[in-house]
Amino acid sequence: MSASAPILSLRHVSHEYGSGTHRDLVLSDVSLDVSANDVVALLGPSGCGKSTLMRVLTGLITPSKGEVFHHGRALHGIAAGVAMVFQNFALFPWLTVRGNVLLAVEHLPPAERDAKVERILATVGLDVYENNYPRELSGGMKQRVGIARALVASPEVLCLDEPFSALDVLTAETLRNELARLLADKTNPLRTMILVTHNIDEAVELATRIVVLAANPGRVDQIVANPLPYPRDPKSPAFAAAVENLHCILTHTTLPDAPVNGPDAGKVSFPVDETHHRIAPVIIPAVNAGEVLGLLALLPTEAIDIFDIAERLGRDFGSVVNLLKASELLELVRTPGQDVFITDFGRQVLAASTLDQKKLLREKILKLKIFELLVRLINVQEDKVLADDTLLAELQALLPHEKPRVIFRTLVNWGRFAEIIQHDQRRHQMRLYERKGPRVLTGPGAGKA
Amino acid sequence: MARHEPSPEIRRSSVWSDLLVIGLFAAVLLGALNVEEEWQAPLKTSAPIDLSPSVLPLYALYSLARSWLAYGLSLVFTILIASWAFYDLRARRLILPALDVLQSIPVLGFLPGLVLALVGIFPHSNIGLEIACIVMIFTGQVWNMAFSYYDSLQGVPAEHRNLARLYDFTGWQRFWRVELPFATQSLVYNSMVSMAGGWFFLSITEAFQLGDQDFRLPGIGSYMSVAIAQGNVSAQIYGVIAMGVIIVSVDRLVWWPLVRWSKKFNLDDFAGSASSDSGSGRFALWLARSTALRRLTLVWEKTSDTLLRRRHAPHAGKEQAASSRPRPAFGRWLANLAFVALLALGAYAVVRLGLLIAKLNLTDWREIAAGTGYTTLRVFAALAFSVLWAVPVGVWLGLNPAYSRRLQPFIQFAASFPAPMIYPWILTLVGLIGGTLGWGAVPLIVLGTQWYVLFNVVSAASSIPNDVRSCAAIMGLSGVRRWTRYLLPAIAPGLVTGCITAAGGAWNATIVAEYVRSGTSLVQTTGLGSYISRATNAGDYPQLAAGVIVMAVLVVLINRLVWKKLQSLANERCRFG
Repeated sequence: MSASAPILSLRHVSHEYGSGTHRDLVLSDVSLDVSANDVVALLGPSGCGKSTLMRVLTGLITPSKGEVFHHGRALHGIAAGVAMVFQNFALFPWLTVRGNVLLAVEHLPPAERDAKVERILATVGLDVYENNYPRELSGGMKQRVGIARALVASPEVLCLDEPFSALDVLTAETLRNELARLLADKTNPLRTMILVTHNIDEAVELATRIVVLAANPGRVDQIVANPLPYPRDPKSPAFAAAVENLHCILTHTTLPDAPVNGPDAGKVSFPVDETHHRIAPVIIPAVNAGEVLGLLALLPTEAIDIFDIAERLGRDFGSVVNLLKASELLELVRTPGQDVFITDFGRQVLAASTLDQKKLLREKILKLKIFELLVRLINVQEDKVLADDTLLAELQALLPHEKPRVIFRTLVNWGRFAEIIQHDQRRHQMRLYERKGPRVLTGPGAGKA
Repeated sequence: MARHEPSPEIRRSSVWSDLLVIGLFAAVLLGALNVEEEWQAPLKTSAPIDLSPSVLPLYALYSLARSWLAYGLSLVFTILIASWAFYDLRARRLILPALDVLQSIPVLGFLPGLVLALVGIFPHSNIGLEIACIVMIFTGQVWNMAFSYYDSLQGVPAEHRNLARLYDFTGWQRFWRVELPFATQSLVYNSMVSMAGGWFFLSITEAFQLGDQDFRLPGIGSYMSVAIAQGNVSAQIYGVIAMGVIIVSVDRLVWWPLVRWSKKFNLDDFAGSASSDSGSGRFALWLARSTALRRLTLVWEKTSDTLLRRRHAPHAGKEQAASSRPRPAFGRWLANLAFVALLALGAYAVVRLGLLIAKLNLTDWREIAAGTGYTTLRVFAALAFSVLWAVPVGVWLGLNPAYSRRLQPFIQFAASFPAPMIYPWILTLVGLIGGTLGWGAVPLIVLGTQWYVLFNVVSAASSIPNDVRSCAAIMGLSGVRRWTRYLLPAIAPGLVTGCITAAGGAWNATIVAEYVRSGTSLVQTTGLGSYISRATNAGDYPQLAAGVIVMAVLVVLINRLVWKKLQSLANERCRFG
């Protein structure tokens, strides 16, 4: 156990969920070190495998590929000296607040453990509640119990998995400040943390190193050092600059400025063998087609910053980026740098009637490679009926690094929205949509008033 | 019943599908005729049962017809009684406790009275016996279905109730369009469980002895009992195989497609939308390709359309709008009458039973007391044994879904198999290791009841939130502390529910497990269950009544004093979220 070795380190770790044909690659070739006194934030859009990465670091998940080291030794099982705070608290409802906290130090001699529990309950402000059951507490209080339970065992590394995202804004702010104060306190021995978050401000406020992850498959995009001294002032220019920098990186990671509207729009070529290349379609972001129109209606005429949109919608950055990617793919918006412009086509769509909106979008969607492919696939089927399984298998073969089910759902959602396909959920199959005459509903489900 | 455009794949008719459907209908028709003929047959005590395997399909058909008729009866009763309890507050206060008592008392004890009454009503044909058999199966099936439907009625969201009022649905329309769709999923699940319980009763009631009278109906249960009585081992094996085939085919051909179909009533509308577990749906798809069946569907849709069609515009004639008006006098009068009738019936039954029991003397009561002690010990021993093995296994299965998915069909089969059919085999084993029925009855009881514990523990363990599992792992909970602090409390609500169901089954099982016919010999041991069986056999009705009542009272008391308390404690303390 050499002193210089990092506490936890990952070497070329990949992980996939599922088995057989339904495999989702969530982490791809991740290498990462967590040394003493590091506060590492894992930051990235939803679906980038942040939580999985943290669980690999703690030993909760054994990765499919790659190695995990704990103080320089290969890790088997749970890493010793690690404590964790969970997004949804993970309290034991049958134990009191005291019982929950005590659970982490029960193996110690009674006098010592009682002293520890008393001290920690007082520190997080729970001494009044020690005999209450978790269900009698508010969300913020529950998370205090979660934090107390993690801290009581004096862990070497504290893992926080989106610890504040299940709380309301004010409570989250309070707890975040308390955690920051803990870090600013030089006498506090716990100086090593791993924090999963999608909140940039949170990462900048707490972390010394920020690992920006990219999604599909989850991988390390960039590691940003954040040497600001504690306590950090969110109103200081240095803090704002760090946040701005991360904004840029995240935007670039998730919304690259590559020309998507060129002649090769929506294509990526994959080598099949030495001589043949298979044209794989760029995947469409997993968003609801209807939401794209909603976003469009919210955009002002002048340019707007992506992060302002996220704030206005009250949604996390990742999902807003996905919406923007989809809008950009349909040529409704342009996103140079961090700005978002609505295009002329976008305005045209916005002004059109519901029926015309669908018609306009239908033309654009049909031009996307993946839909060209879908239509062709349906047309070559006997009876022009495509089984879900066939499409899933095709997607899996075509885009081996993506989650076929997610793409599938999005394809069906867009296809139905634009009236390109009809999907039969009961029989798990789809076919091209045919417009019929005015439909007469006679089934018992149709009310005739 | 939303109208559904047949997709091209289904439009492509297949001759085989048509043949299958025609065949199925023919089979049902033939079966009905056969059953009808058999019902008309004069009552023979001890009907001759043929032990050659070639008659097994016919016997299986008879048994299937009985259990499906019983199921149909259960379904109708469920909907009527639960709706009544839901809409009539006064009736609810009577019906719910009554159902609760009925589901926990040993219904097997009521078999003799029922058989005699019905045979008395139909002295010249088998129909009385058939009805008795069906009613017995019904009593084994109906209670959990009724409770589940009542719960579903309570679970219908207020929005949907308001919608029904806004659209001025009649009660009939509301039932088909709001209530039944909401209840379908849990009703299908409970039907599956009920059907499995029904086999247990079927296996006992098809061959039933009362005094010197031997009431026997041709069927798989009586085939087995004759095979056991004659010590014909190969026939016993045939019988067990036939039972297995019945269970598996009913499961695959009826319940699996139904469970899949019922998923469309799931309120979380994203669940399973892109699921591709089409393996079990092949049969349904195949059926859907049949032209004949499609025509039938159309006829059904038309009929249901006519039945459900609105006769008037919503709220036409405001003063007649049913929702705002007090209940019509006639309806209230009818409800009152039904209520009084129920009370009168109950009072009459109590008085009659009281008079009957008054004939017993002190020795009888002493015997009952001693038997009660032994039987209680056996029931709790069986329960303890079930808990001891089912808790670790169930937790392991629940935390490892990959294994539980693979094992589930086997466990389900084992649970559905009517245990009394293989009692003699187990007893032979017990005899081999030198045991007697005195404690040998315990494994017999366990055989039927352990599954309830297992199922409930598996489902409780599998619903422990992921974060909580991670937390327990990170804190390094292990050994005894892992069980006492984490796993046992986490599964407590499921474990208690499983124990309640298992205990109910165990009391019932003592009636057949403490008094077993094996070959030509009869094995019995001291106990309340064997007391009831002996009284049944001797045709001693006062003893029978006393035994059944003591058992019923005991079961209800234990439920109230022990199980319900534990259940509410577990639900209050140990629920997540």
